[in-house]
Formats: sequence, C-alpha cells, structure tokens
Amino acid sequence: MASHIGVVPPPMTPAKGNEPKTAEKIDYLNLPCPIPYEEIHREALMSLKPELFEGMRFDFTKGLNQKFSLSHSVFMGPMEVPSQASETIKIPTAHYEFGANFLDPKLMLFGRILTDGRLNARVKCDLTDNLILKANSQLTSEPHMSHGMVNFDYKGKDFRIQFQLGNGALFGASYIQSVTPHLSLGSEVFWAGQHRKSGIGLAARYNTDKMVATGQVASTGMVALSYVQKVSEKVSLASDFMYNYMSRDVTASFGYDYVLRQCRLRGKIDSNGCTAAFLEERLNMGLNFILSAEIDHWKKDYKFGFGLTVGE
Amino acid sequence: MNSKNLLEVTPKAHLLGLRFMVNRYKVSKVSGRSEASEERSTVKCLKDWSTWTMKKAKVITHYGFIPLVIIIGVNSEPKPTLSQLLTPF
Repeated sequence: MASHIGVVPPPMTPAKGNEPKTAEKIDYLNLPCPIPYEEIHREALMSLKPELFEGMRFDFTKGLNQKFSLSHSVFMGPMEVPSQASETIKIPTAHYEFGANFLDPKLMLFGRILTDGRLNARVKCDLTDNLILKANSQLTSEPHMSHGMVNFDYKGKDFRIQFQLGNGALFGASYIQSVTPHLSLGSEVFWAGQHRKSGIGLAARYNTDKMVATGQVASTGMVALSYVQKVSEKVSLASDFMYNYMSRDVTASFGYDYVLRQCRLRGKIDSNGCTAAFLEERLNMGLNFILSAEIDHWKKDYKFGFGLTVGE
Repeated sequence: MNSKNLLEVTPKAHLLGLRFMVNRYKVSKVSGRSEASEERSTVKCLKDWSTWTMKKAKVITHYGFIPLVIIIGVNSEPKPTLSQLLTPF
C-alpha cells in the first residue's frame, strides 16, 4: 500500500503552492479588478493620516439589529478656524451629533446631524451587480455653504469607470485599468464650473502582497508618491511624498502602523516638523479608548485628545 | 431675341429672386428673433425650474434624510421596538 501511495501523483493543491510565482504565466485576459481610483492611496492614507483630533470625544453606537444602528457622539474641544495669519485660531466648541446608519448588502444609508443643523449624508446603492450609485452631501442652514456630490461607478472585468456630478457645476470622470496582476494605471479629468478650474490627472499603483507603491500626478500641480511596506502581519511602514510644482510646496512624511491584539498604534513624522501619534486601545469587547497627539514645533501648535468609543 | 428675352427676364427674375431672398431674410430675421427670444426664455424657464427643484430637494433632504433612514431601519427584519430605539442600552 505504501508503494501504491508513492506511485500516485500528489494532489493539485500542494503542487500549486510549491510552484514559484515567476513560473506562472500571466493571463492578460484574466486580470483582477483594480482598486477604485479615489482609493489608490488607501494603505498610505490609513497609516499616515489617522483621524487626529483635539479635545474630548465620546462615541456611542447602539445596534438595533444587524442592519440598523443609531449613534450618539459628543465632542468638546477647540476647533481650528482657518485664518490668513500664521497663528492658528482655535475656538472652543462643543457639539452633539446624532446619527443613523442602515447597512444592507445592496443599500447603505449613513446620516449624521449636528446640533448646529449641519447634516452629513451618504448613500451607496448597488443598482446592478456592476453599477454602484454613491451620493454624499453636507447640508447646512447657511445659504451657499452646502455641497453635494453624486458618483456613478461601473465595475468592469479588469477596469473601473466613475462619473461624478457635484453642485457648483462640478463634473469629473475617472478610469482605472489593471495592466498586469500587480500594476494598474488610471487617469481622471475634472471640471469645476464655479471656480473655473479644470484638470487632468494620472495615477499608477503597483502592489504585491508585501508592498504597495503609488504615484499620482495632476495638472493642478500636485505630484504625490507613496510607498507602504508590510514588514510583518502586525507592522507596516509607510512613507509619502507630496510636491506641488505650482506653489513649490513639498511635504514628506514617514509613519508606522502597528496592529496588535489589543491596540492599534499609528505614528508619523513630517518634514514640516510635525509628529503625530494615534492609539486605539481595546479595553473590552466594544469599548475602545482613543488617544491622539499632534505636535508641531515649528508653528507651536500642540494638540492632544482623548476619547472613548462604545459599541461596534 | 432670345438674348433680349433673357436680358429682360434675368433682371426681373434676379430682382424677384432678390426680393424673395430679402423677404425671406426679413421673415426669418423676425421669426429668428422671436425664436431666439423664445429659446432664451425656455432656457431661463428651465434654469429657474431646476433651481427651484434643487432648493426644495435640499430642504427635503435636510429635514427628511435622518427620519427616512430611521423609518427604513425600523421596518427591516428583525423589527426593533420603539423602546429599543430610545434607551441607551
């Protein structure tokens, strides 16, 4: 019987695993579907740009059933007001935000309303298997301060097309295509009627299991390059370079992302002399403690925040 | 003779043709102006109407989006009760 087993060829699955990747012939007709164009920097953004805040934050999410949940959120702290002077102006604010979320495989509704009357609404609807409608709007009681945007996404076999319509006569379209199993190239055009601006951009993304490298160039003068390396299951390092050739503004940043069993720690350091860290600690099932810090020695701007998140 | 007739005929025809053209031009100019103004007024009407609908849609969304989400959520299975909606646990 042992000799018989020896003669029988081994089953397919282990043989496939042992095969080196380079020996595999690239099937150009069967490329994977690429990442959507706006998420091309997704890994770098997740590691390098956590939601830093200043003050106290408390979020409570109550799930009523699998699909529907309500959320209550309180925030107290200084909010930065954009000002022309080099000094940042901070105004202490406090607000309560009520939100309702509905998540279905085909329909997602997300609404948040603040005490000052601002509504933040997002809708995502799968019209067919390949066509997705997304709408996003921020409505305020003040006139001329609201904006809304509607996107139509079509997902093809190895490409994606997106059309965008926004208020203020904003039109945009983007197209991204998988060129090899690891490389995808895309481009976008946009036209903003109200600001009389239009632009065209190109992007490329190369990813393997261990790293992601992206590059994006736009006619508005922006060049953005990023590189994320997954050092292990728990650690990934990211670096980002942004250059605006119109305004000669350069920013380079380097960050890390540790995903550990009980916490997630992200930190970064900038070429503007700004260091930031963001910690999410899981105290218990459904209870998360958040610490955020951003120190800018150059501008003498120190932001520390803490918060608690209850619920999934 | 033929040539004479031709000479006689041609200017008249030419004149007639010109007059016809002039008439047509006048008529088309008048109708063109009214057409253009009509077009402009329809475009203006369309713009006004679309602005009015966008304003109303904005107000409806502002007040009605969250109640809409809550209604859709409350009607999804398994139906949550009102007390579950209002209590914090």
